Amino acid sequence: MSNNTKALDIRQVPQGRLAMWTLIAGELIIFGGLIAVYLLNRIRYPEWGAEAVHTSTMFGAINTCVLLLSSFTIVLAHNEANKNNIKRAQLYMFLTIVGGLAFLCIKSIEYSREISEGLTFTSPAMVAKGEGVKSLFWSFYYIMTGLHALHVIAGMTTIFIIMMQIGKGKNIHRVELAGMYWHMVDLVWIFLFPLLYIAK
Amino acid sequence: MNIFPENATTYGQEIDNLFYLILTFVAIAFVISVVVLFYPMFRYSEKRNPKAQYITGEKKSHFKWVMYALIMLAMSDFIIMYAEHGTWEKIEEDVPTDGIRVGITGIQWNWVFNYAGKDGKVMTADDIVINEANSELHVPINTNIIMELRARDVVHDVFLPNARTKYDVIPGRTHVKWANFTKVGKYEVVCSQICGVLHSKMRNYIVVDTKEDYDKYMAALYAKQDSANAPKPAAPAIDTTAKADSTKAADKK
Amino acid sequence: MEHGHKQSFASKYLFSTDHKVIGIQYITVGLLMAVIGGFLAYVFRYNLAFPGKDIPLFGQLLPQQYNTFITNHGMIMVFWVGMPILLSGLGNLLIPTMVGTDDMAFPFLNMLSFWIFTLSAIVLIAAFFVPGGAFGGGWTMYPPLSAGGYMNTSPDLLTALFSGTSLMILAVALEFVAMLMGGINFLVTTINKRAKGMTPWRIPLIVWFLDIASVIFMFSCGPLVAGAFMLLLDNIVGTGFFDASRGGDPILWQHLFWFFGHPEVYVLLLPALGVLGEIIPVFSRKPLFAYKTIIYLALASAVLSVVVWAHHQFVSGIDPRMATFFSVGTIIISIPFAGIFLAFMATLWGGSIKFTVPMMFALGFVALFLVGGLTGLFLGSNAFDIYAHDSYFVVAHFHYTLFPDIFFGFFAAFYFWFPKYLGKELNVTLGKIHFWLTTIFFNSTFFLLFFNGLHGQHRRINDYSFFGNVAMEPYSTFEKVATISAICLILSQLVFVLNLFKTLSSGKKAAKNPWNAATLEWVTDTPPIHGNFETFPEVYRGPYEYSVPDAKDDFIPQNVAN
Repeated sequence: MSNNTKALDIRQVPQGRLAMWTLIAGELIIFGGLIAVYLLNRIRYPEWGAEAVHTSTMFGAINTCVLLLSSFTIVLAHNEANKNNIKRAQLYMFLTIVGGLAFLCIKSIEYSREISEGLTFTSPAMVAKGEGVKSLFWSFYYIMTGLHALHVIAGMTTIFIIMMQIGKGKNIHRVELAGMYWHMVDLVWIFLFPLLYIAK
Repeated sequence: MNIFPENATTYGQEIDNLFYLILTFVAIAFVISVVVLFYPMFRYSEKRNPKAQYITGEKKSHFKWVMYALIMLAMSDFIIMYAEHGTWEKIEEDVPTDGIRVGITGIQWNWVFNYAGKDGKVMTADDIVINEANSELHVPINTNIIMELRARDVVHDVFLPNARTKYDVIPGRTHVKWANFTKVGKYEVVCSQICGVLHSKMRNYIVVDTKEDYDKYMAALYAKQDSANAPKPAAPAIDTTAKADSTKAADKK
Repeated sequence: MEHGHKQSFASKYLFSTDHKVIGIQYITVGLLMAVIGGFLAYVFRYNLAFPGKDIPLFGQLLPQQYNTFITNHGMIMVFWVGMPILLSGLGNLLIPTMVGTDDMAFPFLNMLSFWIFTLSAIVLIAAFFVPGGAFGGGWTMYPPLSAGGYMNTSPDLLTALFSGTSLMILAVALEFVAMLMGGINFLVTTINKRAKGMTPWRIPLIVWFLDIASVIFMFSCGPLVAGAFMLLLDNIVGTGFFDASRGGDPILWQHLFWFFGHPEVYVLLLPALGVLGEIIPVFSRKPLFAYKTIIYLALASAVLSVVVWAHHQFVSGIDPRMATFFSVGTIIISIPFAGIFLAFMATLWGGSIKFTVPMMFALGFVALFLVGGLTGLFLGSNAFDIYAHDSYFVVAHFHYTLFPDIFFGFFAAFYFWFPKYLGKELNVTLGKIHFWLTTIFFNSTFFLLFFNGLHGQHRRINDYSFFGNVAMEPYSTFEKVATISAICLILSQLVFVLNLFKTLSSGKKAAKNPWNAATLEWVTDTPPIHGNFETFPEVYRGPYEYSVPDAKDDFIPQNVAN
């Protein structure tokens, strides 16, 4: 090993934060692409408005609140971590994970309601009736919310791992990074909610 | 040796001329660049010029030579753009409205041709469909042929080398393109977009007839259609597309 | 004891987090993939010249196999040769040493990136061995052909998942993940870990270009990732995102693909241009001409690169008026790149040029790319593109850009930096033979194909004797010339392999700074130790201080104070 003690540190932004911003930019472009494609199709097919009626605004709104609340708790966790209150930071992180779980539960209730109505990823009944265009709305609905749900799961896993790590006194600065990621997940939902639930 | 295959349309020559125009600019640019690249290799080799000069190129007086070259390039670019835009408009944007309408539908792996029939519209019940393998499309000379391009299964690409035209055919879309043939002959219609296993064998012909021959040919076709006289609702060749179209129409309601 | 030794081998050469080892790993995998890509090229080129004949080392090539081979040749050469060698390989090797630091910002992420990349290569190759074979619908994967239209994939989810089409989409997605991880590392390393005094305008050009390429990659691949997800679902669960009968749109994929696909060209081009930017000043003994302006031009082209994608779709059903817009964009983007190349040429003027092997490859790159770039003018003008689109003119054009880019760029870098990073001197005679054989056979392979294209030869056909316009003389002879040259081109790479192994086994130890170059990687030991620098260098000047008047030597390394 070389003598690294003289390593020069000219960083202005902490390394992790810089990487996280880059990752978030990349993720937002993926969702941005998907949302742009959805919007183009939405303009092309006005009949999608009638399909959006089947999505439950109430459940969507509750989920929005749940996610916003969990974003709030992760901010609190970051705040406590800065003050080195590990136990309280862990508590708030745990609450964030609970929020994520609640979000996923509500989402799955929604999914099961829709699936029982025959509105699935491919909606074969609609296609058989020759209403393929309408079934495409549901394909978009599932791919967008599904991809978002995957990010929720990824975020929860990350927060859980970091929660364990800070319990051992390691990587306390990573609470902030997890928070940034969670805010991104939240932000994407803020876009999805009006697009899929409110605009009918 | 001809650079291009035989030209058979009114606008084909314009494409060829465009090639020679661009070639002129490209050749000039090529010669200049080769001189600029190879002369210093000779003049400023280690042997002839053992001590290099210190030029950073950040000064305007140094960079101006690159600027001149870039301005020349930009100017030739825009001359080319200006020259070719008329051709582009003529071929792609200003599709004539009068003429004979034909349908060309790509399937795996052949072209299916539809004549408009008596109503002058393609993809209607009275179309005369030519879908036996390798049966050609007959068109008259010196007439606008308005081609409605469709695909039934995957993306294909109508390429008429002798007409210097080409367009993708996409499932669910109809592209209207045109050609006006000036020479009697039999020309290939090939598929220029990979479309599956036998893409290599996808080829059919457009036969350009004199007006008399064409009329004779069509009269025979109509006679055959009348004698068959089976009230076929829609020709089999247009099934899927027709259904897709009507689905869309129904959805719009 | 023996067990312990084995582990240290694995941690030193396989699961190393050292950026140099990872860079060499990337290049090695890239070269192995190039062997596969080259073999595919040999098989289908042979078939083109002698259709229906038995191919030596292979046998009969079926039409479906032909499609599979051309598709995978394109995929492999762009994504599994160009990307790992030029972007990840050179980036990993050079960035930390050139900015004067010990390693990447996230060494573990870097290792992970390499192994995900390797996994993606394995997935791609595995597709050849699943029932139905690999995907054969062109590397652009246009649906509906790629959405079940090719092999009519069964509705059974597992079979559909392990079909050639799905595996290719998965492989591309995995590769993107790997490259994104690498890109994050490049950016953070350059921004945060530079040596003291390494101000932005003292960063070597190639580091700038690698970072710009990473940014372009990150900002253009997002929509395609979303698109790949949709295409995969079309394949395995039967959604209709690209199915016209259900309201989907096949052209949507083309937009998503080319929105990424065209910037991808610049992702491949910029690192290779960076290589030129390092090599030409060293062997002209002259500062890089207009270093700052070059960087501004590259930034401008990065911005422009996202508004030119539809020139791949002039005849695919976009609005004809839109095509004019993209045609103008395409022609405008030629200007910054022409500026960069002119600056490289201007660097030669007034220099004292040494014709070493890396310099020969660098100059060969410029000369060949000139042909590729200028023929781009024909295709960029949308009216002529109506005729030339999807013809052999296009094939010849992009081989004249990508072959010099990927291979001449790589070979220049290889002959230039090999003595540094592997510590052995390469054989010069073999290097020069390699250069001349590659240049001659490359030209004789592809130049005649321009004429075939102009005579109406369309792409991706396994037997042109079927088509009247190209079955005639001299075009069928041209095909044969191209094939024989291509085989010679592949064989002449054996000179390179010979040189490589000869040097590795019995090469002379290289000096610390054999080329008298001024950038930081030449300051450290040869080969650089783990951690790169004994003491971290401090930077006092720009990277191209050659032939400075009144200086002692004809170059001043970046870490030398006055």
